[in-house]
Formats: sequence, structure tokens, C-alpha cells
Amino acid sequence: MTEASNTTFGVALALYLVAMVGYLHHFAYRRPTPLTLARVVAYLALASHTVSVVLRGVAAGRVPWGNMYEYASVVGLAVVALYLVVAERRVEARRLGGFVLGATVLIMAASTMVYVEPGPLIPALNSGWLRIHVLAAILASALFTLGFVFTLLYLIQERRERRVERAVAERPAPAMASVGSGLPHDLEVESDPEEGRATVTLGPEQGNGHGGMPEGPTRRGRLPGAAALDDLAAKAITFAFPIWTFAVIAGAIWAEQAWGRYWGWDPKEVWSFVTWVLFAGYLHARATQGWRGRRAAVLAVLGFAALAFNLTVVNLVVSGLHSYAGV
Amino acid sequence: MATGTFSRGMLSVWRSLRSMRTALILLLLLGLGSVVGSLVPQAPNSPARVAELFAERPLLARIYDALGFFDVYGSWWFTLLYVLLLISLAACLIPRTRGLIRGLGSRWQPARDLEALRHYASGSVEGSPEEAVGRARRALRRRGWGVRSGGETALAAEKGLAREVGSLAFHWAFFLLLLGVVYGKGFGFTGQATVIEGDVFTEAHASYDFPPREGRFFGERHQGFQVRVLDFEVAYREGGLPRDFVSRVEVVEEGEVIRADEIRVNDPLEHLGVKLYQSGYGWAPVVEVRHEGELLVSDPLVFVTDDPNDPVRPWRGAIKLPGISPQVGLELQLLPDAAAFVAGMPMLEADDPFLAYRAYRGDLRLTEAQSVFRLEKELLEEYESGGLALGETVELPGGLEVTFRDVRQYTQLLVKRDPGIGLMLATALLVLVGLVPALYSSRRRIWVRAVPEDGGTRLEIGGFALQRKAAFDEEFDRLVRDLVPRGRVRVP
Ligand code: HEM
Repeated sequence: MTEASNTTFGVALALYLVAMVGYLHHFAYRRPTPLTLARVVAYLALASHTVSVVLRGVAAGRVPWGNMYEYASVVGLAVVALYLVVAERRVEARRLGGFVLGATVLIMAASTMVYVEPGPLIPALNSGWLRIHVLAAILASALFTLGFVFTLLYLIQERRERRVERAVAERPAPAMASVGSGLPHDLEVESDPEEGRATVTLGPEQGNGHGGMPEGPTRRGRLPGAAALDDLAAKAITFAFPIWTFAVIAGAIWAEQAWGRYWGWDPKEVWSFVTWVLFAGYLHARATQGWRGRRAAVLAVLGFAALAFNLTVVNLVVSGLHSYAGV
Repeated sequence: MATGTFSRGMLSVWRSLRSMRTALILLLLLGLGSVVGSLVPQAPNSPARVAELFAERPLLARIYDALGFFDVYGSWWFTLLYVLLLISLAACLIPRTRGLIRGLGSRWQPARDLEALRHYASGSVEGSPEEAVGRARRALRRRGWGVRSGGETALAAEKGLAREVGSLAFHWAFFLLLLGVVYGKGFGFTGQATVIEGDVFTEAHASYDFPPREGRFFGERHQGFQVRVLDFEVAYREGGLPRDFVSRVEVVEEGEVIRADEIRVNDPLEHLGVKLYQSGYGWAPVVEVRHEGELLVSDPLVFVTDDPNDPVRPWRGAIKLPGISPQVGLELQLLPDAAAFVAGMPMLEADDPFLAYRAYRGDLRLTEAQSVFRLEKELLEEYESGGLALGETVELPGGLEVTFRDVRQYTQLLVKRDPGIGLMLATALLVLVGLVPALYSSRRRIWVRAVPEDGGTRLEIGGFALQRKAAFDEEFDRLVRDLVPRGRVRVP
């Protein structure tokens, strides 16, 4: 059982890599066939990964999220599932599969470094609230991971667009036609007739999405517009935030049962609190004039960093009551 | 003059406390403070590591100490940030709440310049303007819009008030949650009790292992009931991992057994608002020591271990005999059997226990503070060592007789009262319930105006969304199609 779980895990990892390459090819050259293939392979990988997780649960005789390896594996699974099933419904997100799968591959590869054989849990971890708490934390972590990938891409694209805007402002060209010549290659945005003026100001507010206008053929290797990326990131993080809130609350209820206090500033608790605060800051920043965009994105990146720190450094290095959940 | 500056200063502090940015910055600072607390050892939890730091890096330790880093959550600055956050939250929530309540009562004016709105459409429908507006009102109500004001030929409608209500509920709930922590701590207490099988623990200030942490307003309201520990048991899995820890207990009030129950990990016992949690356990050998026939020691001795699963760190304890001359100290180790003395084995069961001893004599230095589980060996010299099986007696030089009489277990219970728990649970629930509409719904408004035209009525529809503007595009289109079913729609 354990062996089958590990094999399907390996198969999933390999297929994710293949799918990642397919998505990246599509991102670079904009051909439809690699995209279709990549999606098929990604679904196959997801199926294999699911089998691996289920078998792991059967082998351990409990829910398959009882230690770091299992946690990371299920986070990877949730990232891909949420991307394929939810995010890809947005057409512009399909260009980003390579980056999402890249993150997944990293998470899964890292998880093998803390691999342990399946086994029972110590008594304190044997609690219904804990199972719910961890499941919610996994779901939220996966969504925050998606949000992080989109945010990074947003930051890249936003910089490009600012450079374009500056360049355009410096040479007041007639209309939006032929700015191309003097600009770096990747910035020949305005001359793309099919996207119209979309790229600089592209986003759900303006172009795409209004009345379901289909996305025009886009340039090679080009990210969706910054506004669209920002919107994708915000969707993921807004989805994650209440789930994370619930995870923290469920954890507190469990801690109350197990240790007689719902909150003790245990390192694990500290860092989930910090994560929560940073993402709350992000949500506020997006609702505040002058804080939208880059500043908000920085908060999202910091929030994800706190999340990642909690799952890695705190688990492995900083000790606390939670640490026996450890490796 | 000075008071003028002062009050102006206070006014500007107050102004900035009322801003949401300040509240969030205070929250972030609290987060930062707690990060310090997670990285620097905290004196209330790990005094040993603090002492270590003082020994190894005295300068750094003194700086940390001055800044309150060794007890972040008890430091003045953490408390200050907490209080400021509470004030700030209240200061920015009160006006918002007032605004919401006022807004609910007022009627709105129909918008005058519909065409200037972000969304605008117009189209022809049948019937008189009054009929058209009536139809529109019914259609909007069916779709869950709150139609707020009208007149005969115009109306305004709103949807998504849940966002504002949910947002306020969330923010207030978070405020109450912060308050609940303080309340529970202030009126509650936490203590630890070590109880040997067969013994009785009384819920009173003096019977805890060390003085319980009592809240400022707790005021000695210990309940005085008793808990008798009948027995304690660890169930092991194959391979020696513990599966469950169970203390079987009786609750006794005024000499009468009120109830019998079990305390397990994740399943505390609650009595009179006091909860008892299974938090630890250990072995307590019964050792008798006689000196020239006189019984000096006969109670069970609490033994400790640094890690119950580590074979090289067995359960250990000490006996100190200051009354004889020279003073004698015994260092004891409890092992599962005699073979374990050499090989090392975790003490899981007491089938064939073995007590190893080392006897020292000299000066115990009891005038110094020291651990009851260890000897202070500077002025002691070892003069004898060996081991005892259960029931055996050994005679040591100097007229000492040591008997290994019995082995019992003790249970360690965390005992606590937190009257804020109910409030915490309720507010945590409200946080979640408020958060969902605050995040996922959006406020949007619609205005409809009917103008007579040849052979019918022209409906003008304008609208805008405060949030999720992109999603409203589609919703608005659908609404217009609903309100102007057959007529031609003109979208500017
Ligand atoms: C103290 C002053 C604060 C004010 C005036 C304030 C104000 C607001 C406002 C106006 C919104 C937008 C609500 C809406 O659009 O319906 C909001 C949303 C929110 N606030 Fe606050 N807030 C404050 C503090 C906090 C704090 C301390 C937290 C703690 C985490 C917090 C967490 C949130 C969250 C999670 C949202 C949802 C974000 C969204 O609507 O997209 N707020 N707040």
C-alpha cells in the first residue's frame, strides 16, 4: 500500500513536469495543441496524485494529513485541483499553468525531503477538530500559493506596463499605432491591433469579460495584463482568507481541548496570526485608494512568506507544542 | 500654553487612532511583537533556556531583558499595543456603525442624471409609465433587490447591504474577541497539579505544584472540590508509541463522591466551571528509608524524565536526608528491569522494575535553592551504588536501610478556569459569519425612471456597483433584459 502510494506520487510528479513543459510551450508560442495536451496530462497527474493520497490514508489507517510530508503533498494536490477546476475557467489563466505547476513541483519535491513512513498519530493529534483544522489550513495554503504565483506574475507584468507607459509618455506618438520601434522587444504592446489598447489597461474592468468578449490571439510569451493578474490573485486570496480564518479558529478550539488554552502564542500560532494579519492588510490595501496595486501585492508576498516560514522553519527548527506534529 | 499643546497632541493621537490604517499598523506591530516572542525564549515557558542565554551571552540577554523580550506577552509595550488596538478599532467602528444605522432609516433621492452613471440603458415597453414602474418594482423584488423609494414613475433599489452589515459584524466580532481574551484571563486561573495514584487533589490555591497563575480579578474563587485519582494508564501501540493517556478519577465534594469520570488527552473533565486536562504523567516509586530502625521516608517519590521515549534518559529522582550526620543524599533511577540498567530501555510498564541508586554523603547544601529531583554534589562524595528489585532491601554503611516497596504512577493535570470561553466561541463564529458576505457580496444600486413616449413608455435604467464592478456588468445586462423584455434596448 505504502509502495503503491509512493509510486503514484512519483508518477504524478513526473506528469506534472511534463504538463508544466506543455503549458510553458503554450505560454511561449501560443499554440493550442500543447495547451490541450498539457491539460490532459495535468488531469492524469492529478488523478495519480489523488490515488497516492488516498492510498497513503489507507496505509496509515487515518486521514492522510498527519505529518509534514502528507501535508505538503495534499497542498500540492489542492493547488493543481483548484487551478484546473476553478482558475482555468478564466481564459487568461490558462497561459499560467506552467508557473502554477512549477510551484506544485517545487512543493512536492520539497515534501520528499521530510518523507516518513505512514504511521499512527500521537494521542494529542487524534482529534476531530484537528482533522478539520489541518484540512482547512491545507485548502487555504493551496489558494494562497495560487495567489502568490499570480501576484509574482502581476508584479513582473506591472513593471513592464509602467515602463511602457513611461516610454509612451516620453514620445507622444500619433495614436497607439507604431510605438514599437524604439522600445524593448517585449514592450511592443500598443502596436498589437487585436488587443487594441487592452494591454496597458487590460482587465476585467475594461476589456475582457465585458459581455464575454472572446480573448483575441495574443502575443507570444506575454503575460495577461496586470489588471487581470491582480484580479486573479485577489480572487484566490479572497477565497483563501475566510478558510484560513476558519483554520485558525478550529486550531484554537482543538488547542483548548488538548492543552487547556485556545491561544498560547506558540510559534505555530504566532506565525498563523502573522499570516492572517498580513493578508487582512492586503485585503484592506486593495480597498484603499493609493494602496492598490504594487503596495498591496507586497503585502500578499509577505503574507505568503509568513505562511511558508510557518510550514518549514517553524516546523523543523523552532520548537513548540506543535512540533511533535513535526516531521 | 502647555496644556494647549498637550490637548492638541492628544487630539492628533485620537485622530490617528480613528483611522483604519492605524488599527492595521497596530495589529501588524502586535504580530511583529509575537514574532519576537516566537524566536526569543520566553521566561514563563522555558526559564532554563533564558538562564542559558544569560550565561552564554550576558550582554544580549540583558538587552532582551530590558526590552521585555523574555516575556513579550506580559510586557508593557505589548499590553499598550493591545489596548491601543482596542481603542482604535472601537473608534473607527462606531462612526461606521452609526452611518449604517442612519442610512437604513433615510429615503434616497432618485438619481437625476442617470446617463452619467457607469451603467445606463434605456428601452421601450408597453403600458403607462406607472404600470411600467410597477412591473419593474415587482421584477426587482423578485430578484432580491430592496426597492427603497419610488413615487409613481421612478424608483431606486439596492442590493448587497449584507456586505456592510457583514463587514461590521466581522469587525465588531474581532473587537469582542480581543476583549474576550482579556476577560477570560482576568477572571480565570491556570494551575498544574501532580497527583499520585490513590491521592486526592483539592482545588485550592495551596495545592498546586507551584502557585497558579490567577487573573487580576479572579479573587481566590477556587472551588474547593476534590479529585481522587484512582489510577492512571498509558495505552501503547506496538513499537512503544503511546496511543492514549487516561486518568480515572472521582470528583468529591464534602466527602461525598459526586461523579466518576475519565480524563483523557483531548477530553478534559469539567466541574463547577473548572476544567482538568490530561497534561503529563510519570512514575512514583515508593521507597522506604530507615536510619537505625527509625522510618525517615515512606511516601511515594515523584520521578521525572527529560523525555519518556529516550532510552538513555531514565526516570530519576532524589532522596535528601539532612537530619543525619554526615548528611546523606540518594540519587535514584527507575528502570523497567535490571537488564535495562546496562542496555537502556524506556520505562513503559512496571512488571519487573529496578531501582538503581548512588549514595552520597557530606553537605547537601540545602541552604541553597535547588531542584528536588537532583543533588547538589559539590560538597558530596559518592560512597556506595547498586540496584534494587521490587521488595528488596539494601543496607548502606552508616546504619541506613533502603527498601524498594512499590511503584505507582502519577498524573499531571492542567487545571484551569476561563469564563471567557463562551464569548470567545460566539465571537469566533461571528467573525466567520460576518466575513463571508463582507468578502463575497457587493453593494450595488439601480435607478429606474419611466417617461411616456408614443404608444408606450420609455424606461431609463442606471446603476452602479461599489465593489466587484466587473461582475456587475453582466448582472446589469441581465437586469435590463428582464425589465425591457421585448423592447429595443439602447446602450450608449
Ligand atoms: C480599525 C479600523 C478598521 C476600519 C475602519 C476598517 C474598515 C474596513 C472597511 C471599510 C472595509 C471594507 C468593507 C466593505 O467594503 O464592505 C474593511 C474590510 C475588511 N477588514 Fe477592516 N477595518 C478596520 C480594522 C480591521 C482589522 C483590525 C482587521 C483585522 C484583521 C480587519 C479586517 C478586515 C477584512 C478581512 C476585511 C474584508 C476585506 C474586503 O472587504 O475585501 N479590519 N475594513
